Amino acid sequence: MAKKAKSRTIAVRLISMAMTGYYRTMIRPRVHRPLSMMKYDPVVKKQVLFLEATKGGKNK
Amino acid sequence: MSVSKHTGELLEKLPQRLVNFFARYPPQTHSAAVRRPAPAKGEDYVPTKVESPYTPDREAKGAPGEKKHGWTPSRALLVTSEKVRNPFLPHKRFGKWEAPKYGLRQQADLMKLAIKYNVGALLPPSRKSPEFKETRRAERGLQVKGTGVGHKVKGHKWERTMESRLEDRRKAMEGMPEMVRLWKQRGHGRGWRQWPKR
Repeated sequence: MAKKAKSRTIAVRLISMAMTGYYRTMIRPRVHRPLSMMKYDPVVKKQVLFLEATKGGKNK
Repeated sequence: MSVSKHTGELLEKLPQRLVNFFARYPPQTHSAAVRRPAPAKGEDYVPTKVESPYTPDREAKGAPGEKKHGWTPSRALLVTSEKVRNPFLPHKRFGKWEAPKYGLRQQADLMKLAIKYNVGALLPPSRKSPEFKETRRAERGLQVKGTGVGHKVKGHKWERTMESRLEDRRKAMEGMPEMVRLWKQRGHGRGWRQWPKR
């Protein structure tokens, strides 16, 4: 039986680097490089760096 | 006899309930003032064990850390000589405990009545006496868990880990400008190596 086709996009989790446990979920193309951006963290009430987290911690 | 006359006047003023009680248990032999335990083996004699009819479980409800049958200042107030039985306390007889002649409710009633007529000191030592209550309050405090010296409560997990989490956050925020600078330098994530684990 043929495997089910993978979707073109995936949902990823961007974790606040302020270590507050706050995160945002975004959708990016599967082949895109990992996301990272400055976003507002309501816990520390500041714009901080958010980095994409993957299950293995391995991004290309 | 002026003393007996004075006593007679006092007795007339007292309610019948107290008169009956004092007739049965005269203050000369039974009052708390008379029966205050004298230290038998010198001044610093402290009995290490005070017998009690109550089960350990029941006593265990007391202040944490308190010995189940240990000596405390409030218990010392209740210790009376074996010769004359205290009607307010349980009594060990033939190896078995007998209930007090007067239950706690009756004791409280009598005590309130006696205090009202200024003869509270003439009653036998009781758990309902103001001095016992004061002493015990001093020993046990308000009995709110964790408020005593050296007491701890477990608390919620978020309370126990709060300090370390705040410390982590503080450190992360201190290093944030440097991290952002590096991130911008490396093409906004293009050359980034340390991606966080989920």
